[in-house]
Amino acid sequence: MKTGLTVSTLLHGALLGFGLIALSAPAALEVADVEAFPVDIVPVESITQIQQGNREAPVAERAAPTPTERPHTVPDARNAGENDVDLETNSNAEASRREVRTAALPESQPTPKPATPGEQVREQPKPAPTPATEVTPEPQPRQEVTPEPVEEAAVAENPEAEAIKLPENAPSPQARPQPPQAQTAKAPERRNAEEPANAPAEKPKASDTEFDLASVDNVLRNLEDAAGGGGARSSEQAALGGERTTTGEKLTQSEMDALRQQLNDCWLRPAGMSDEDLRTSVRFSLDQSGRLAGPPRIEATSGNRQFDESALRAVWKCDQAGLRVPSDRYEAWAEVLVTFDPEML
Amino acid sequence: MDASDLAALGGELSIWELFWQAGWVVKLVMIGLLAASIWCWAIIIDKAMAYARARRALDRFEETFWSGQSLEELYRTLAERKTTGMGSIFVSAMREWKKSFEKGARSPIALQTRIDKAMDLALTREMERLEARLGFLASIGSSAPFIGLFGTVVGIMTSFQAIAGSKSTNLAVVAPGIAEALLATAMGLLAAIPAVIAYNKLSSDAAKLGSRMEGFADEFSAILSRQIDEKVLQKAA
Repeated sequence: MKTGLTVSTLLHGALLGFGLIALSAPAALEVADVEAFPVDIVPVESITQIQQGNREAPVAERAAPTPTERPHTVPDARNAGENDVDLETNSNAEASRREVRTAALPESQPTPKPATPGEQVREQPKPAPTPATEVTPEPQPRQEVTPEPVEEAAVAENPEAEAIKLPENAPSPQARPQPPQAQTAKAPERRNAEEPANAPAEKPKASDTEFDLASVDNVLRNLEDAAGGGGARSSEQAALGGERTTTGEKLTQSEMDALRQQLNDCWLRPAGMSDEDLRTSVRFSLDQSGRLAGPPRIEATSGNRQFDESALRAVWKCDQAGLRVPSDRYEAWAEVLVTFDPEML
Repeated sequence: MDASDLAALGGELSIWELFWQAGWVVKLVMIGLLAASIWCWAIIIDKAMAYARARRALDRFEETFWSGQSLEELYRTLAERKTTGMGSIFVSAMREWKKSFEKGARSPIALQTRIDKAMDLALTREMERLEARLGFLASIGSSAPFIGLFGTVVGIMTSFQAIAGSKSTNLAVVAPGIAEALLATAMGLLAAIPAVIAYNKLSSDAAKLGSRMEGFADEFSAILSRQIDEKVLQKAA
């Protein structure tokens, strides 16, 4: 036994010694250095909620357009600029003016019935809703400039609001019961910026809703101006921002998608129309609890009555089931415009 | 990371460093496994040598036994020295035979039984001697992996506790602890594998030697039985 133990101990000693030498330092694994770069997760609101400011200016806590020297001549001007008249378009940009068709305008403007002009206007396929409230209430009586039956009817309905809110209710008084919509002052500017030369059919709407001399002047001259220019003065230091301000209360893309998904689940597509190129836009207002505040309206018809009605039914059906909307941001979904498209939805 | 850093890192991962960095439980397990391995190999070497010796002794004894030498003579030479294997069986049987005849026993059947018992006893004692400590090999072969695994589990547990303490999941933090824990399993396997193989080999060798001795015992019993019959016939005549 002694020999066995000795031999065994010697063998183990030798093995350990060999292990200490041969297995002492395993070669370090060569791993290429990967440079880590930081990734910021930016909420989409920071892009969609741009404040008015100067694109070249440095970042400040509060965005502001470039300071101006000329004194304020328009008290309620909304668009930054140095004009004497608060325009959404730059009247100085003579070079970019374009002549628009002249023949169509006078025919579409004098719409006889008080209710229909608003609807006709609504049915145009516009990408952004144009709330009627962005115009500042002006002291001039409306009848003097555009003596249309629409305004008269509106005035007759609520004479007490004439002084302040008269222009708001002018285009479609009974179909728009949404005061919060008044805050979204963004849309008309966007419409002008994105579609500088609209079809003449849109002209009467502009004259209906925006009551100022400049737009009337544009209408009369059948001229559409390029974007830029306004009467608002800024005395603050220029800071980074967009050319237009936003209220910041818009549905984010993901929230919009969630809403679309709900409507899509409610939507029963009319049989045999899925392959046709049909799409319709539906506008509906919601109250604070997320229920329909009024009947949904077809904003832009697909031309197919059955298809349009299926979209309306989808909204009703979703309202029955209860639309799920972010409850803390009522402003964002007080009024919703959804395009029903068999491919998109 | 320059060369000295790499060298330092490599040094930390050598077997010696791994051993010293381990916790005391893991250290204890590793030391125990090392001792078990040493003891296993001692047994293996010892047994291999003993079996080789026993086989040679058996060969030599069978040679002399069947060489035609008289059993009395053989007994006289063998009884004087320490015998193993077949020799001790032969000696114990012959001793019983001699005692019975010298004291004048008369019953041949009882004599045969006594001789068989004496040879059985000698055979059992020889087998016990051959198979001594083989059980240790068997138990090490079956339990060493578990002991090593125990060390690994404890090592990894402490390693994870260290990770939780350092609040870092970097592989550089995790790896040394796991490596040192795995060293325990490696040692357990290192001890167990030779033990299992050697146990199987040695026990089959022992069984072979045992059957050879058993065969000899049966044969010798037959020879003695014939002798008893002859003696009884002589007496009767």
